[in-house]
Amino acid sequence: MDESCGKCIPCRAGTVQLHDLLVKITRGQATMADLILLEELADMVKHASLCGLGQNAPNPLLSTLRYFRDEYTSHIVDRACPAGVCAMRPIEPERVTS
Amino acid sequence: VTVRTLAIDDVPVGAREDETILEAARDHGISIPTLCHLEGLSPVGACRLCMVEVKGASRPVAACVTKVAEGMEVTTDSPRLRVYRRMIVELLFAEGNHVCSVCVVNGHCDLQNVAYAVGMTHVRYPYRAPDRRVDASHERFVVDHNRCILCTRCVRVCDEVEGAHTWDVAGRGHASRVIIDLDQPWKTSDTCTSCGKCVQVCPTGALFEKGVSAAEMVKHREFLAFITTARETHRWIK
Repeated sequence: MDESCGKCIPCRAGTVQLHDLLVKITRGQATMADLILLEELADMVKHASLCGLGQNAPNPLLSTLRYFRDEYTSHIVDRACPAGVCAMRPIEPERVTS
Repeated sequence: VTVRTLAIDDVPVGAREDETILEAARDHGISIPTLCHLEGLSPVGACRLCMVEVKGASRPVAACVTKVAEGMEVTTDSPRLRVYRRMIVELLFAEGNHVCSVCVVNGHCDLQNVAYAVGMTHVRYPYRAPDRRVDASHERFVVDHNRCILCTRCVRVCDEVEGAHTWDVAGRGHASRVIIDLDQPWKTSDTCTSCGKCVQVCPTGALFEKGVSAAEMVKHREFLAFITTARETHRWIK
């Protein structure tokens, strides 16, 4: 999302929301509804973005969802990180200033 | 003029070879939602709302920047396109601070109309509530960045029609915004001619005239068609 130029909406606003959803998952604050939202949004950003950046930005997300979906669900259902990487602590979301 | 024949939503359509899918569709009464597009200004393909499916293409294409081709089979409405369009409008609402009830263009807003058209009933993404500035330094106009959707209509009309190029875009990603001259208060601009074209073409209440309250700002865009036709035909008297 730091690389998005900001011209088209799917990439400019979509990657920000994807990032926020992923952060929510790593903090143990997400629900299964968020996972559906994440998948739908990733599909839209991939297919609707103007250039290659937005079209490929959701790829890591989509491939990890394909091969490591159980890790996503354990973050959400068990509130645990199987790899022991995520702190799983709720943090106040930061406000953006522009 | 070479004519191309194609099918839009299974309707056989004839179009000039230099026409876009959007122009061909609108000529034949087929509506496609748009936001950044405005007839008379160059297309940018930024809002992605006009995406259509073209048979044989791997992904949806923006109708406003895609030229017609012989034998093209275009679909302007599908369950997938409907989902994408609604999501895009949701993202726009979540990105800025769009509060219709207190907005100067409530009832006359392109963003609001598109939201109705695509059936957006609620926003599923958290509102980002960005802290954006308002510049009311100009004698007659105000720019409220909270309502800006970065369609760049103001940038294009100022550059292409007025010829002043006062507006431009600064920053990148979610932090990008429209700026005046060298990112300075509107009042201090050396290039602005105070013509107000940017205010009239703005799809939302981001640019408005001073002295209007909620729902009172109605945009007048007839000048754009008049100027572009007059430039082509060299007839400046109505």
